[in-house]
Amino acid sequence: MTRKQKRLSVIAGALVFLGAATALTFYALGQKASYFYMPGDLQAATLQPGQRIRLGGLVENGSIVRGQGTQVEFGVTDSEKTVKVRYTGILPDLFREGQGVITEGSFGTDGEFVADSVLAKHDENYMPKEVADSLKAKGVWQETTQ
Amino acid sequence: MVETGHFALVLALVLSLVQSLVPLYGAHKGDARLMAVGGPVTVTGFAMIALSFAALTVAYVQSDFSVTNVWENSHSLQPLIYKFTGTWGNHEGSMLLWVLILSFFGALVAAFGGNLPATLRANVLAVQGWIGTAFLLFILITSNPFARLVPAPIEGKDLNPILQDIGLAVHPPLLYLGYVGFSVCFSFAVAALIEGRIDAAWARWVRPWTLAAWVFLTGGIAMGSYWAYYELGWGGFWFWDPVENASFMPWLSGTALLHSAIVMEKRSALKIWTLLLAILTFSLSLLGTFLVRSGVLTSVHSFASDPSRGVFILCILTLFIGGSLALFALRASSLTAGGIFHPISREGALVLNNLFLTTATATVLIGTLYPLVVEAMFGDKISVGEPFFNLTFGPLMIPLLVVVPFGPLLAWKRGDVFAVAQRLMFAFGAALLAVLVTFLFIDGASVFAALGAGLSAWLVLGALTDLALKAGIGNVALDMALRRFLGLPRSVFGTAIAHLGLGLTLLGIVGTLSFEKEAILVMKPGQVLEISGHSLRFDGLTPVRGPNFTEDRGHFSLLGANGQPSDVIMSSKRFYPVRQMPTTEAGIKTMWLSQLYISLGDETGDGSVVVRVWWKPLVTLIWGGALVMMVGGFVSLMDRRLRVGAPARRKSAQAKTSPVAS
Amino acid sequence: MLFWVIAAVLTLGASLAVLLPLTRRAEGEADASHDLEVYRDQLGEVDRDAARGLIAPSDAEQARAEIARRIIKLDAESARAPKSTSQLAPRQVGVIAVLAVPLLSWSIYTAIGSPEVPSQPLSARLSQKPADSSVDELIARAEAHLVANPSDGRGWDVLAPVYLRMGRSDDAVTAYRNAVRILGSTATRQAGLGEAIAGSSGGIVTSDARLAFEAALKLEPADPKARYFLALALAQEGKVADAATAWRQLSESLPADSPWRAATDQAIAQAEVRTAPANEAAGVAGPEQADIDAAASMSSGDRTAMIEGMVATLDEKLRQNPRDPEGWLRLVRSYQVLGKTDLAQDALGRAYAALGRDSEDGRKLTELASTLGLKVTE
Repeated sequence: MTRKQKRLSVIAGALVFLGAATALTFYALGQKASYFYMPGDLQAATLQPGQRIRLGGLVENGSIVRGQGTQVEFGVTDSEKTVKVRYTGILPDLFREGQGVITEGSFGTDGEFVADSVLAKHDENYMPKEVADSLKAKGVWQETTQ
Repeated sequence: MVETGHFALVLALVLSLVQSLVPLYGAHKGDARLMAVGGPVTVTGFAMIALSFAALTVAYVQSDFSVTNVWENSHSLQPLIYKFTGTWGNHEGSMLLWVLILSFFGALVAAFGGNLPATLRANVLAVQGWIGTAFLLFILITSNPFARLVPAPIEGKDLNPILQDIGLAVHPPLLYLGYVGFSVCFSFAVAALIEGRIDAAWARWVRPWTLAAWVFLTGGIAMGSYWAYYELGWGGFWFWDPVENASFMPWLSGTALLHSAIVMEKRSALKIWTLLLAILTFSLSLLGTFLVRSGVLTSVHSFASDPSRGVFILCILTLFIGGSLALFALRASSLTAGGIFHPISREGALVLNNLFLTTATATVLIGTLYPLVVEAMFGDKISVGEPFFNLTFGPLMIPLLVVVPFGPLLAWKRGDVFAVAQRLMFAFGAALLAVLVTFLFIDGASVFAALGAGLSAWLVLGALTDLALKAGIGNVALDMALRRFLGLPRSVFGTAIAHLGLGLTLLGIVGTLSFEKEAILVMKPGQVLEISGHSLRFDGLTPVRGPNFTEDRGHFSLLGANGQPSDVIMSSKRFYPVRQMPTTEAGIKTMWLSQLYISLGDETGDGSVVVRVWWKPLVTLIWGGALVMMVGGFVSLMDRRLRVGAPARRKSAQAKTSPVAS
Repeated sequence: MLFWVIAAVLTLGASLAVLLPLTRRAEGEADASHDLEVYRDQLGEVDRDAARGLIAPSDAEQARAEIARRIIKLDAESARAPKSTSQLAPRQVGVIAVLAVPLLSWSIYTAIGSPEVPSQPLSARLSQKPADSSVDELIARAEAHLVANPSDGRGWDVLAPVYLRMGRSDDAVTAYRNAVRILGSTATRQAGLGEAIAGSSGGIVTSDARLAFEAALKLEPADPKARYFLALALAQEGKVADAATAWRQLSESLPADSPWRAATDQAIAQAEVRTAPANEAAGVAGPEQADIDAAASMSSGDRTAMIEGMVATLDEKLRQNPRDPEGWLRLVRSYQVLGKTDLAQDALGRAYAALGRDSEDGRKLTELASTLGLKVTE
């Protein structure tokens, strides 16, 4: 091989490599990116059972039902529609009724959403009145900030 | 005092403006006096920003709520250390820290840049000045930490409880030292483009800055990862979160830069590519700052964000990245090509390293920005998470890691890959053994675990082999080998140590991901949980009052073989009343290299509580390995060739010794 | 004054940093010498590596040749290096730079700084003489004390009525509850607690508040505050006649100089104005306490008209001055309570436009809207 041919083959090798990497990246984006929906958007979307999505909304008031052990069920609502979510594990610190939440998982065959991760928004300014009242009733000292 | 800080900041802006223009003009006209202005102005600017930062810190420590920023992010009851670290635990303060570090690096160039040609030094300082001016303007216009509040409230709104942790004292300063450290490389690159001249000497001048920034960034990322691990209570060490990616991308491209600069220094090759990498690395740092500070991406740990500031940073971003790349396009063709080399050589291995690292950077970049693009173009909200990165980033890393031990053993210009492979037989055999042992005795089900363990052994032993061979162990007598070993250049040690650290981190990741055990259950007081051969007893919850929080503290006993408690682990749920925010304080017990990790969930009412327990084997190696990498970088930084003096000093020294052939 | 001195010193220092290098004679040196230094060092390194046997002798020879070529090239480059002359002389640039430092910094600072505001460290503020302190600071001091000694019941007892007078009803509730918990129940504390609870629910005597008032009466059957508010509770439930009877009984038993006399007599007068027994009132939590009391004493038609009038006034006020988060919250809630969902939705939209959806106030609006069942989607 002449020097020129060598250089060309190196460049060709690099291009093949980059092409493969690009193809892999876009294949992965198509396969592994999960879409985000609010409960109201779900009707318009066509989802296969088992397809992973992110479902976000507010935790419906009074919907949290604790089952056996660490299983918990709650409603995620956008005030139009409500979806029932089943989750096993520890809920995040900021998980509360009426608080924004993002769950990730898929719909089971029974139409219930099975989440494997639950994220609550880190929104430090939010505080539902019920919690504030019960805390005050417990006598936890509280500073007024406003 | 507060207003002194404010005034000093204004003064710093004006000095930065002088620094941006006067030395540049001087270098253009060849006027030595104008160029000489750069140094003192840079140092004075740094002093002004330091004074300003000190003023803000004093305001925080003294709880001066007449400063809006202090009122919003502090509280008189906070422990002193968090009053102190709270200075940069918010947007305004952290941007001030950013420019403080930027001007610190500028001052270092001014102070230790005596070995640089005057024009290069003047231009580098001017480019640093541009960055400083842009960010000081950003601070004074959109996020002034010295805005006052009249009349002053009597109490503050408290620092975000998640940030009330010792991690805040270490993580942001380290990360910024890394991010901003790459600004020096950027300035060198732009200065070289302005002068239209770049050569092997340039690479040597840039090298210490690249190394220092890389060491700090490595530390910052590792520290951030450990912080998220114990503070968020999720037990994960990396979430592929946009903010994490924002710090990881400059690290990847910075690592590439570190390696390509070696080729440039030794062989004067890859000049254009190295310049481009220097520009890209700092651009990615800027992009990271933009992503974190603008709130464009929703992230689990974006604490302070404001879209209106985003526009300003976006402008800075466009100006600097666009401007430098335009300059690059204009001037790159005029740079002369360097030495040639065979594909199979040290240079070739380093090119391969660069190819993989930059491609990996690109995949991370795409994964991070893709949701933004999709939302902007189609309105769909999507998230790209771990599965994507596992599928793209993972396959790119595996071949790269396989090649790592070959690199330092290959000769420059033309190497013999078979000879090197022969020398690596021992490491290869040991790696194979590691695969077999893992597969047969620990976990036969996981191919990933076995191969991962093998790859880690390959990296660690490959690094040791490199040192052994260079010392001549096996070829020369042992005492001779020892002497040679001690006499090896520090950069050789640095390389080997850093590669070894990489292997340790990989081992930690593989160990944790494949052999982690997890239990989620409701525990009653007195109940015992068996996990990975450890017996853990839940003893109950006690309420505790902290200085500015209350907590329910869970007591756990680790039972010894005789059923008696041998150790106590505490894990708590805290509540910060001012912000009305709960946090989880994980209970972590380190045993050798592994950790037992306990985080508390909700109480169920009858004294029992939801508990999540992980056994994380080898998990400490993840951060320990990063620490070793930092040591490697530091050792390399100590190498004598990075301490080339200024000509004047050298000349007088050489007069006494024999002149070096030239 | 001290500040201006410091500022002047800083400015002087900064100007000198620009000026001094310009006055000094800078010795120009050839740039090539720096590069040469690096190459010399590289040659030394090659020699060392070769001596140690890290590189083969032939490789070392090649490397030396390569470095030598770089040095030769360097000489060629430094030979050409044109220096041009400029229209703007370096001296002028220097003068401009030196002058720019004081001029720019002082003009920028005067535009954005607040030199008249002194530093106010908290400890210094709290150690001022009590007479010089504002009420807020006194309260803060008491609060700091109570954080350190949360079981100081007397502290809570003193602070509670102060909170109540300042309109910090929620804090008053906490303080009264603590005082009751630590020092035990008295009629005054229970009545105060009731008033605080009523205050925090916008003037409505809720069942919680009623329980507190009833507890107060159990301890002291003649407590005027408890009796007054229990009567108000009746009126708010629409039992105006019963309320009037209760107030009348209270009035008869009150001593002539009682502070409750005026309020009671006024309440009786308002109750008597009502001709027909009122229907259940829409408990608008929005309008002021006084308006509610007034509304309670009207016929249901009049009352609705009055409430609507007040809401309309509020609406108009907000159209003129939209930066009033409290007002918006009140308006949205009022419309919804009056059953005018469309108007509530419209007000919500305008409130978002005025305050921003993502601001803290916007979030409060969202929170309110979701509890009221309004649509919060964009």
